[in-house]
Amino acid sequence: MVEELKTVGHSTPRIDGLQRVTGRATYSADVQLPNMLYARVLRSPHPHARILGIDVARALAAPGVKAILTHENCRLVWSSGDRVNKRYLFNNPVRFVGDAVAALAATNRHLAEEALKLIQVEYETLDFVLDAEEALQPGAVEIHPGGNLSPIISFRSTEPGKREPSTYVRGDLEKGFAASDFVFEDRYVSKHVNNAQMEPRVALAHWEGDKLTVWTPTQGIANCHRDIARDLNLALEKVRVVCQYMGGGFGNKNQCQDTDLMAAQLAKETGRPVKLELSRKEDFVCVHGRWPTSQNYKVGVLKDGTLQAIQMRGYSGMGPYRKSGGGISGVEYFRCPNVKTEIYPAYTNMAVSANFRGPPYPQGVFGIASILDHIAHELKIDPVDFYLKNVTRKFRDSIPYTSSGLLECIRQGAKLFEWKKRWHPAGSQQGPIKTGIGLAAGGFGASVGRSSAVLRLDSEGRLWLHVGVTDIGTGAKTTMALIAAEAMGIDMDKVRVISGDTDRTPYSVGESGSRTTSYTGYAIVEAAKDLKQQLAASGPPQGDEVLIAEATPSPRLEGKVRYSFAVHFVEVEVDTELGGVRVLKYLAVHDSGRIINPLTATSQVQGGVIQGLGMALHEELLYDENTGIPLNPGYYGARVMTHVDVPNVEVHFVETEDAYGPFGAKAVGEPPIVPVVGAVANAVFNAIGKRIKELPITRDKIIGAVS
Amino acid sequence: MKPISRRSFLERSGTGMAAAAAIPALEAPTFQSRPLPAEERGREIHLKVNGKDHRLEVEDHWTLAEVLRDHLGLTGTRVGCDRGECGACTVLLDGKSLYSCSYLAVWAEGKEISTVEGLAEGTQLDPLQEAFIEHDGPQCGFCTSGQLMSAKALLNSNPNPTEAEARQALAGNICRCSNFNRYLEAVLATSGKGGSRG
Ligand code: FES
Ligand code: FES
Repeated sequence: MVEELKTVGHSTPRIDGLQRVTGRATYSADVQLPNMLYARVLRSPHPHARILGIDVARALAAPGVKAILTHENCRLVWSSGDRVNKRYLFNNPVRFVGDAVAALAATNRHLAEEALKLIQVEYETLDFVLDAEEALQPGAVEIHPGGNLSPIISFRSTEPGKREPSTYVRGDLEKGFAASDFVFEDRYVSKHVNNAQMEPRVALAHWEGDKLTVWTPTQGIANCHRDIARDLNLALEKVRVVCQYMGGGFGNKNQCQDTDLMAAQLAKETGRPVKLELSRKEDFVCVHGRWPTSQNYKVGVLKDGTLQAIQMRGYSGMGPYRKSGGGISGVEYFRCPNVKTEIYPAYTNMAVSANFRGPPYPQGVFGIASILDHIAHELKIDPVDFYLKNVTRKFRDSIPYTSSGLLECIRQGAKLFEWKKRWHPAGSQQGPIKTGIGLAAGGFGASVGRSSAVLRLDSEGRLWLHVGVTDIGTGAKTTMALIAAEAMGIDMDKVRVISGDTDRTPYSVGESGSRTTSYTGYAIVEAAKDLKQQLAASGPPQGDEVLIAEATPSPRLEGKVRYSFAVHFVEVEVDTELGGVRVLKYLAVHDSGRIINPLTATSQVQGGVIQGLGMALHEELLYDENTGIPLNPGYYGARVMTHVDVPNVEVHFVETEDAYGPFGAKAVGEPPIVPVVGAVANAVFNAIGKRIKELPITRDKIIGAVS
Repeated sequence: MKPISRRSFLERSGTGMAAAAAIPALEAPTFQSRPLPAEERGREIHLKVNGKDHRLEVEDHWTLAEVLRDHLGLTGTRVGCDRGECGACTVLLDGKSLYSCSYLAVWAEGKEISTVEGLAEGTQLDPLQEAFIEHDGPQCGFCTSGQLMSAKALLNSNPNPTEAEARQALAGNICRCSNFNRYLEAVLATSGKGGSRG
């Protein structure tokens, strides 16, 4: 248990709540500039095709049209759109249904949409492949020269660029299997699901002389700033990125989007501000979603359930451009002397796959939690006991954690959930409606690192906090203010947060990977130390004076690994005749170190759980295998969770003491989605005694499994 | 570090800082609707929005959401899908909730429209707005205006809904941050039925 503080740790409504409930919060799409043009994008109807010719003459002559960009007149590279290959704003060949072919600016959005239809494109269609494993078969069409196995880009990899699977090994797998009493093998499959944040992508670009301002929804104004400057070959001070309010992203607004660059280029050519808006369908197909995987496991155990060896060979479908890692993670939550994981990220002609909350974990935990649950079942060991025996004590069994509440989360959770009371052997209930319970564990790195904060104290006692956060819905502005108030020993109503504008705030790490509190929050604590010293030396500022302190710390973990942990318990009801799954009870137990704001942290956990339930039970971007066309982009087709689908979600924090981060706070935002799918899949197994090995767990699969 | 004058710091950090300091007033923002260029000439309609009369020229295919946002400056009505799937654009039309992205502006001729900007009276927030802040309804906040307007329509017709009734009434308002339960808490608290799990 952590020691109580004055401001931090007390539930506090968001400091910008008023703006959000009155409609006055300004999102990027709300900004209008005089003389502004509207832009739209023409997209490929083919999954893979060479463009033989584009004729824009009729479109250019259409009413209101001011400029058109295609691969013929615009060779800009979108560098954050692919970390391996050169991805242009407009590519030839086009490599998925939705790949950008042209962008057009006109005096209003309707004229822009009409004019798009007048652009004539001649295509030569090429073979295409949608599935990652098929893409790696000999004879599959090559999406990029050199084949469809995408090279290693992992941050930690020693050999980036090599065309080999990402491989991790410890111990000796063969010895481990030889020493095992039992060996189990199985295969699990997860699907492409879209982030589906409510605010679609939009970009408004405006040049004043040689200075470019871009209003764009981004999870990191600093990343976006750097990306735009690099791709347009501009000095950093010639670019300003503004994002005052942001309507969610869950990973798909980490980087600069191609729309930012297209709007900037169209604005440059026309000499007028340009707003480019994506439709919901474009947002679903042309930004990115979670990568689909197939995972093959082989696990060796002793009779008492002690793990001896884990092997996993997995395939991730990245779409045709490589935006991020494509990992499949979850094995690392278990201690085991002999481990080998091998992951093959492959190019396909599906929508691009990249980060979505907890990027490699929900799908990976689904796989490993399912096979381990199966083993516990076969060995007749209670899953809670199995977890207590086997979960990680040290990272990869060798590096100590800065703190770990994982065992405590399992113990306290099992008690709160009344696990023993609810438990029954799998499939043991009679009648068509059956209940079942399941659990899964997971976590997320709570890294520390470089970020900045500027504090400015005026003579009226107001503390101006300059931080480059955008607040993607996590409550970051409020969290930063709480940390500042605590560190300075002042009241919250004295704190003013200046954020979301690269001309007015210092560098802040992007709001991804659950880093903002640990990185930028810690910079605030360091800046406050300086400010307090100044106060002690020269007294409070008078009249026009201000005291200013700045800090850019780069903390390191010195041979340790820092993690947040989550253990989830769920009870479901399965209708074996109609196939429906209903969540009856959900308990999420989290170790995120000290909780800065229990009110918003609880909301984050509930939200992550419900997103995970959508992935477990409903969501999948379906493709027509004959045409390579996505069938159900959009909220309705994706069947995202709604008010009538959601269960009550109980949240319990196990606050461990941690020596790093601001007041010992660890990651909150990413972990909640991590164990959900695994826990639900296990609960469904416990109910019906049959295991669903392919997501999502829809009615047809339930009915197929029980009949 | 030495104390420096505030003026010099303000100059260095760009303009607009003073504006960020002000506690936002609740009166409507000033907005200049633009004259239509020749290629957009349409027909004149009369709209009553949040009790205020507007005469404006619209094209037949413009949606109500588009007119509210782009031509009346009422950007609190958000557009999440523009095709009737998400509810972010919900407004009230003669007191009933409506997806304004899927309703033409010309159809609204002579009808009473309420948007999120009209919920507060002067500087007094609607009880729903207060509850939304207190119960942490908005995460990213993009769905919030729509959730508020659907909740308002519900409480207008059914001041004491059960939990099931409230969920049903809000079913057309997606929240991808998935803060559904917070919104529900806030609505039930406002209706005086906080905690009832009917
Ligand atoms: S914007 Fe109208 S329903 Fe989504
Ligand atoms: S608060 Fe983000 S979509 Fe509802």
